[in-house]
Amino acid sequence: METRQVDVLILGGGVAGMTAAVYAARAGLRVTLLEENACGGLVNWTRVVENMPSYISIPGMELADRMAEQVAALGVDVEEAACIEEISLAAGDKTVVADDVRYEARAVIAATGRRPVLLDCAGDCCQVHYCAICDGSAYKGRHVLVVGGGNSGFDEALALLDTGVARVTLIEAQDRFFAAAAAQRALAAREGAVMYTSTRVTQLHGTDALESVTLTRADGSEQQLPCDGIFVFMGQEPSTQLFRGQLELDAQGYIVTDGLMATSVPGVFAAGDVRPKRYRQITTALSDGTVAALEAERYIRRTAG
Amino acid sequence: MSLQTVTPGDLDARIEQTAQGIVLFHKELCPHCKNMEKVLAKFGAKNPDVELLAVDSEADPAVMEAYGVERVPSLVIVRGGRAVYTRTGLMNPKELTTLYHSV
Repeated sequence: METRQVDVLILGGGVAGMTAAVYAARAGLRVTLLEENACGGLVNWTRVVENMPSYISIPGMELADRMAEQVAALGVDVEEAACIEEISLAAGDKTVVADDVRYEARAVIAATGRRPVLLDCAGDCCQVHYCAICDGSAYKGRHVLVVGGGNSGFDEALALLDTGVARVTLIEAQDRFFAAAAAQRALAAREGAVMYTSTRVTQLHGTDALESVTLTRADGSEQQLPCDGIFVFMGQEPSTQLFRGQLELDAQGYIVTDGLMATSVPGVFAAGDVRPKRYRQITTALSDGTVAALEAERYIRRTAG
Repeated sequence: MSLQTVTPGDLDARIEQTAQGIVLFHKELCPHCKNMEKVLAKFGAKNPDVELLAVDSEADPAVMEAYGVERVPSLVIVRGGRAVYTRTGLMNPKELTTLYHSV
């Protein structure tokens, strides 16, 4: 197996990871970034970004591509579609094996972000989806259930109707919707849209394909709803399976750090949505990535033998 | 071999000229499609004789219907100038390699 020695190994190519890469590379360090998909993380899933200082409005994918371009221009070794097979994090030994390459790093930055919360009762149903633009066109003229009353649920419900879905039923388990008021008004005004709070989907029914679902209200009452597909936007959970048993995680699975992104292992830092925090925004991820890289540099210089 | 963009109107003819290849049906703003492009790039680096073609399904929705594709990303595997297998959804490079060589 090939072995590559790097100064800073960054796991995760979202905003935090790419920012860390920029800072670490500009500090003159040898940097490798491993990303299991395409660089950009959740920004790739954001249709339009309007709260990034310097852009009044920019498509999420374009913003991600611009960041990735800067990272590449700085000579960072970026491996996308990377499959991490092994990871070992200790003060004196930080090793990651990915795609049959063994990376030995002096410092590691964990920036693996979050992934969608899955629908518990989905089983192996093929009509449960997490991406409206990917899968919505299969439901033109049909009826879908949207699970999740936040911004994503409402935005994607509107997108599904625009795609030609005939009816959208949107449900939220809590007793109120969390989406921006404008999005709620927009969906309420659309023919073919129905919305319920205090409602969960508890069972899926169908022989070869989805035919209906059982909706259960907070008061225990049930309703059978015929539908052809389900789109789930129930929020995100931390992508930290890799780090179980290696780094201290909190009760929700986020990587515990101090105020300078240091984790429970010396020389290992965490940045971005993978940390416990109140505000998960592009700008807070940029900040985390910056601090993590600067602290990684400081650690490397301090421990240089 | 890197991913080559093909217009929907040229797809049939291009497939007929392809001995071995993979066609990616995608949409511009589809995040999974962006991921799949990276997977194909990695696959292509190790399989230089396989032609990699990409078609924007939104440019002509009828092309999806013609190839039995409902969702994106979808891959159509080509052998001897014919579409022989279709698979929808994201997969990693190892899964793609296994799939391609099993068809």
